Parts: sequence; C-alpha cells; structure tokens
Amino acid sequence: MSDATLSAEAPAAAAAGLPAADRSWTRDLAIGLVVLAIAAALPFLIDSRYVMGQIILALVWASVAVQWNLIFGYAGIFSLAQMAIFAIGGYGCAMLSHYFGWSVWVSIPAGAGGAMLASMVMGLACLRLSGVYVALLTYAIAQVIYLLIVTDTECFYYEGASCRQLTGGATGFARFGSFGTREWLRGDWIMGNYGIVLAGFVLTLLMSWFIIRSPMGLAFKALRDNPAYAVARGVNRFHTQLLVFALSAFFTGLTGGLYAVHFQAIGPDVFSMTNLLFVLAIVVVGGVGTFWGPVAGAVLLMLADEAMRETGEFRTLGLGLIIAAATVLLPKGLAGLAGDLAKRLSSKG
Amino acid sequence: MLDVVVAVVTTALTNGALYALATIGLSLVWGSMGMLNMAHGGLLALGGYAAYTGSVQLGLPLPLAIVFAMLAGAAMGALLHLLVVRQLLRSSGAGFETAVMIATVGISIALQNALLLLYGGQPLGQPFDVPGSIPVGAGAVPWLNVTIVLVSVGVMAAASLLIARTKMGRAIRATAQNRDAALLMGVPVQRVYLQVLALSGALAGICGVLVSSITQLTPTLGADPMLKAFIMCVVAGLGNLPGAIAAAFGLALVEAAMQFAAGARWGFPTLLLLVIAILIWRPAGLFGRARIQRL
Repeated sequence: MSDATLSAEAPAAAAAGLPAADRSWTRDLAIGLVVLAIAAALPFLIDSRYVMGQIILALVWASVAVQWNLIFGYAGIFSLAQMAIFAIGGYGCAMLSHYFGWSVWVSIPAGAGGAMLASMVMGLACLRLSGVYVALLTYAIAQVIYLLIVTDTECFYYEGASCRQLTGGATGFARFGSFGTREWLRGDWIMGNYGIVLAGFVLTLLMSWFIIRSPMGLAFKALRDNPAYAVARGVNRFHTQLLVFALSAFFTGLTGGLYAVHFQAIGPDVFSMTNLLFVLAIVVVGGVGTFWGPVAGAVLLMLADEAMRETGEFRTLGLGLIIAAATVLLPKGLAGLAGDLAKRLSSKG
Repeated sequence: MLDVVVAVVTTALTNGALYALATIGLSLVWGSMGMLNMAHGGLLALGGYAAYTGSVQLGLPLPLAIVFAMLAGAAMGALLHLLVVRQLLRSSGAGFETAVMIATVGISIALQNALLLLYGGQPLGQPFDVPGSIPVGAGAVPWLNVTIVLVSVGVMAAASLLIARTKMGRAIRATAQNRDAALLMGVPVQRVYLQVLALSGALAGICGVLVSSITQLTPTLGADPMLKAFIMCVVAGLGNLPGAIAAAFGLALVEAAMQFAAGARWGFPTLLLLVIAILIWRPAGLFGRARIQRL
C-alpha cells in the first residue's frame, strides 16, 4: 500500500465515522505541528553538544517506542524482540558498509529491509500463537541472536594482528561510515545529525499514523472490540498482524541504522535487557495504544534518566520501579491521564 | 565413549531437575492465576543470595540457610502479590495478562539491580556444596549433582502432595479450574493467590540455591533457568505440571547432547528451533489439549 492511497482514505474514514474521530484528526495535526515547531526551534536554543546528543538519543528512543506501541498497543502483539529488530537494522547497515564499502545512505535502508525480513520470519513462527507464547518466543529468539553474536570467536579476517569476527563478536563494529555532516557543517555537525534523525522520527510517526488511520488500523480496532464478529466479517488476524509486524520492523530497523551511523558504532549491548526495558517503560508510562503517549513517555523518561544519571548505579533499579509503579498507578499512562483531565475540565466548563 | 555418555546423562539429569523445579514454580502461578511471572528469575537469584547471607554472613548451618532462602523467596512472592498483583487484578480487568507481565519485568530488573548494589558484581561462591563423586564405569558422577536431583525431586514431591492433599491445595485447584465458581463457594480467592505466589517464591528460593551451587552467585543467575523454564512450560502446554516436568528432562537431554556434539554455544539455539517446530505442529503444546476459546 502506498502512502497516497492511505492518506486519501484516512480523512474519508474519519469524516464518515463519528465526530469524535474527526476531532482527534485535527487534534493530532495540531499536536504534531507544535511538536515539530519545538523540534525545529531546539537547535537554535541549545548550544551544548552534549544536550543535543541526548536529544538525538531521545528521538531514537521515541521512534522505537512509537513502533513498539504500534505492534503492541494497536495490533496487540506483545513482542519482546523489538531491540533485536533494532539491532538487526543497525548491524545490517554496519556490516554492509564495513564489508562492501557501501555508502551509509544505501546501507541504512538495506539494513532496514533486512530487519523487515527477519521480523517476517519471526512473525511466521510466532504470530499464529497467542499473547504469552508470542512474548516468550520473541524473547527467546532475541536472546539466541545475542548469544550467538557474543560467543562468536571464529576469526573471519585479521585486522593487523588482531582477529575479527564476521559478526563483530563482543566488540561490534565502529567507524564504518558517517552521514558526511562533519565535512559539510564542520563544527555544527551535530545539527546535521539532529536533522537527519529528526527526519527519520517524523517519517516513523507519519507511517504509524497512516497505519492507525488506514483500513488496517480499523481491522485492529475491530479485532480488539469484537474478535468473533471481526473474523466473521473477513478480517484475517494473522495476515494483518504479519503485515504490521513487517512494516513496523522496517522503520525500527531504519532507526537502528540511523543510531549506528550517528554513534559510528554498534555492539551487542543494544540487545541488553535494560534497553528493551527502557522502550517498554516509555510506552507504558506514556500510555499503551495512544498515539502521542510514546512521544511524551520518551521525553519524560529521558529527563528521569538524566536525573538518575547523577545517582549513577541506581539508574536501572529506578527504571524497573518506574515501570512497575506506572503499570499499577497509571494504567492508561500519561496520555490517558491527560485525556481524563481534559474530559474533567470540559465537563466542568 | 562411555564417559561421554555418563557426562551427558549427568548434565541432562541435573539440568532437567533444575529446569523442572523452576518450571513448576512458573507453571503453578500461570495455571492458577493466568499470570506469567517474569520476576521468577529474580526470585531465583534472591534465594541464592539469601542462602549465602544466611550461611556465610549470619553463620547459620546449611539446612537452615536453605530454609532461610525459601522464606526470603516466599516473602518476596507475598510482597509481589500485595503491592502489584492485587492492585492490577482490581484495576486492569481484561488487560491483566499483559499488565502483570510488564509490571513483573520491571520488578525483576529492580530486584536484580538491588542484589547487584547489595552484594557487588563479583560472582560469589555458593556455600552449598557436596564434595566427592561416585565412579561410574570410565566416568564419574559428582555427589553434588546427585544431591541436586534428589533435593529437586523431593521438593517437587512435597509440592505436589501439598496441592493434592491439603485444604490449601484444594482451594488452589478450585481457583485454577473456575475462579468465579470458587469465589461463590466461599473460597477466599485473594488469599489463594497470595498463597500461590508465596509457594512459587519458596520453590524459586530453593531452586536458586541449587542453580548457584553448580554455577556461581550472580544477580542474573536466574535469567537462564527462567528462560528455559518458560520454554519447557510452553512446550508442555502452560499450566500442565507433569507435562512440564517431562519436557524439562527431555529438553535438558537434547540440550546437553547438542552441547557435547557441537559446542556449548549451539545448545540453546537447537533447543529453540525444536520448540518452534513443536509449536507450529501443536500450538497448544505437546501435552496441552486445544482449548476452545470463548471470544
């Protein structure tokens, strides 16, 4: 499906539907413009290269969280392989550039394609199963990929006297290519990288918006509201889930590639449980199944993370407690909280 | 040749017993509450460290240190129910299954990190040890492995007696079969849930002591047995206790054989491929009956 047909259908569906859907369409546009305006103003307001670097990281996390929210919050697939898909995109990009000398502009989409393929294979194996089974299998698959990379000790080639593995082994890959922003913008290269990662984020956000508004999004809503009726009306759960699994993997892999090229390094540590947990926390705190939740969650958790960095070793502990507390205390997340507040205000006024 | 067979069988039986012990803790909670406890690995680690504290730092004799580990696991399980599960059961309704999974992932990470902060990242030696070995043909079977198998089987037998013969066990089985009916018959369902989580925590505690006695004490020691236990649970059909135990021994044998044949790093991937194949063939697990799901 191309974007053009999707965008033509989306307003039509909204107009034919309830007035509430129409309102949320204009609301999304308004929030989107505000977010974009803030994002565009940031490079002019912030001088510190460290802060810009953290903002880039926040954008990367937000993109991954938006994609995970799409497959978990909307399609209802509790996949724990999200960071593995991200890593496959990053590794694909790094390996293609490293071994074949491809420009990163080619290897990033190629890596994303690889992530999409890997995700489809995973989906074929897992998606016929239900909830918990999917979580277990995706987690196990991610763990196997990680273990195979870390325990890889066979020398693929020699760099000087040191042995290098095909998969980069425990060290990973570094300096395989760059966006070229250093040559182009010199001292302001980080602004260039910011722009590129921001573009990736906007693309990710748009894609997820179109999927939610497309017939596919309606299919998910139908499957969630009344599965028996949806299936009777010809909605194929397996096919729709597989399709959204593949699409979301492409953009997750793309983000992985952008991440790898921005940091000019990728290693097995991206698979770590802490990273997966961070993505989970972003979506849970922001609000599962809400469009702007993951974005709000990413901003809040990056701020919390910065605050906890002062305390150093308590970072992971804090993260774990935040997740548990948010599921118990904020079942609908920040976005749900904001929605409730807005409803209360409008009913009073 | 014979010594290889002895070694493979020893590893398989030891690991199988450990996986089975980890599995019944998980399966019990899943079967009676419909809750996947992702913090089970954290409870294993907690048990291992509690035994270390009891024996090395408090100077308790070993059997008491093991009881201490079980108590620590049970207390943590009860705490998990009081602070998280009870609230989620009340607030999240149909979304309970995923909400509790996410919350326990968070608890697990927090627990592991708390252990890391308390005891440091250096692997510690578990004081629980049985020296010596029995010569069997050309090979030898360490007494430690024999003890692990015996203790595991003993604990599992005790747990199944508890579930089959006591009033508490009957309440657990009733709740697992039909929660609403049990509630109507006057079974205090919330208390049953508390008991199930505490029991599962105690099982995790002793399992953690045994696991760390053949490896080392690290905060993440529970992660690997838990992942394998999940897989056993899934292969057997979630909530099926005898099936899970059979699957644990069967898959441990496959894993051990593969590790000797192709190198340690291929053990787990082979296991996983096998499991995926089984699940495609029988989505409800080997011993699970296909449920007719009400939509």
